[in-house]
Amino acid sequence: MIPFVFILIGLALIVIQTSVLMVNPVWVASPDLYYILVAYLAYRFDLLRSLIILFPLSWIMDVFSGVTIGTYPAICFGSFVLLKIIDVKIPVRESLYQVPLMGVSYLVVHKVVYTFFSFVNPDSIGPWSWPEIFVKILLLVLFAFPLFRFFEYMHQRLQKKFVPFKMLRVRSGNRFRPENGER
Amino acid sequence: MRKRGNSKRSSRFRAFRLVLLSGILLTLALIFLVSTLGSQKFSTLHKLILEATGPVQKVVTRATGYLGLFTEKYSDLVSVREENERLWDQLLECRAAAYRNREAQATNTRLQKLLDFKENHDLPMLAARIVGKDPSLWFRTVIVDRGSNDGVIKGMPVVNGEGIVGQVFALTPNYSKVLLAIAPSSALDVLLQKSRVRGILRGTGSLTYKLDYVLKTVDVQEGDQVVTAGYGGLFPTGMPVGVVSKVVRKRRGMFLDIEVKPAVDFLTLENLLIIEQEKPFSR
Repeated sequence: MIPFVFILIGLALIVIQTSVLMVNPVWVASPDLYYILVAYLAYRFDLLRSLIILFPLSWIMDVFSGVTIGTYPAICFGSFVLLKIIDVKIPVRESLYQVPLMGVSYLVVHKVVYTFFSFVNPDSIGPWSWPEIFVKILLLVLFAFPLFRFFEYMHQRLQKKFVPFKMLRVRSGNRFRPENGER
Repeated sequence: MRKRGNSKRSSRFRAFRLVLLSGILLTLALIFLVSTLGSQKFSTLHKLILEATGPVQKVVTRATGYLGLFTEKYSDLVSVREENERLWDQLLECRAAAYRNREAQATNTRLQKLLDFKENHDLPMLAARIVGKDPSLWFRTVIVDRGSNDGVIKGMPVVNGEGIVGQVFALTPNYSKVLLAIAPSSALDVLLQKSRVRGILRGTGSLTYKLDYVLKTVDVQEGDQVVTAGYGGLFPTGMPVGVVSKVVRKRRGMFLDIEVKPAVDFLTLENLLIIEQEKPFSR
């Protein structure tokens, strides 16, 4: 149920991003809201649930944006893997570092995807612009704080609402472990 | 015995004092009555009373006046506040109405342009509305609310009242994805209207086009009109595309570097026309 709700949240974010926040077709100052959800999944969700959410999310983005099918799955999964590895490997588990890390991963993944496209099909892609990408990163970081809180709130509420099955199973009357050697 | 005699005397004296006082008061009242009724003028006593009570009356009257004025002002203030609120509501309503009117006027102008364009070009066209825009930095596409159920097929040209907007490159039963002419992956066959020289117009991802493959020998000036060539039959011939905004003659190479300003204002795109062409246009 939790992945389904987060898919709906992702869909809502993408719709807002592509309709309300895009003032005109060349508008730069629209934050990539879907990317914040990708980062949140990497930080908070386990792999299976993350993949269940990421598949439809990246497909929806592919439909709404771009001309080459597969661009957004590459961006979403690339970013997810990168952030997951960093999250596991990094010695500091401080949530303060997670948002700047997300900005850095956004830059790295987009640069990699852009470089790939400029080799494979240079005519299909516009010129790389540092100011525009920095505007995107800045907006991403600004929007990340409220959205992370919102995701966290939703996640906690959903976890409370949907009690795991193992908590509902019928237990024996004995609530205590037998002492060593006792039966 | 002595005590009883004293009390008798004092009661007698008290009765005498009472009679005396009553007599004096009665006499004074009589004098007052006679003097008043007789001359019909304010006596000294009258004047004295008036002088004594006049200031009190004056203060009370003034205070009452002030109180009345204050009450009146307060009630005015309340009514002014209510009126102010009512006027603000009216003002907001008027502003909203004015905004709606301006919006309706702008929509009307846009739709009128589309209608004029449709009437001037004898082509079957389908009106569409943009419902989503590509948020990426590198690609330039929009989603419109017409799909294969409306007769749209892949490759159909998309225009608005000002000129070429792009072409349909993906579709579903009710929606289509339009590749804008300013997209880097877009290429159009065009003509310089004055010299009739052909070139390939490419999108740059920003609000300009690049016109490629125009030889240096060709006379191209800023302000020259660029129109669709119609080669390949994808776009009808002679549709406005843009205006030459910059011409650079480099020392090396065979071709000119030409920058073209789009005829279409991509910043205000809203309503579009899809040209319903089942077969390629013949030249």
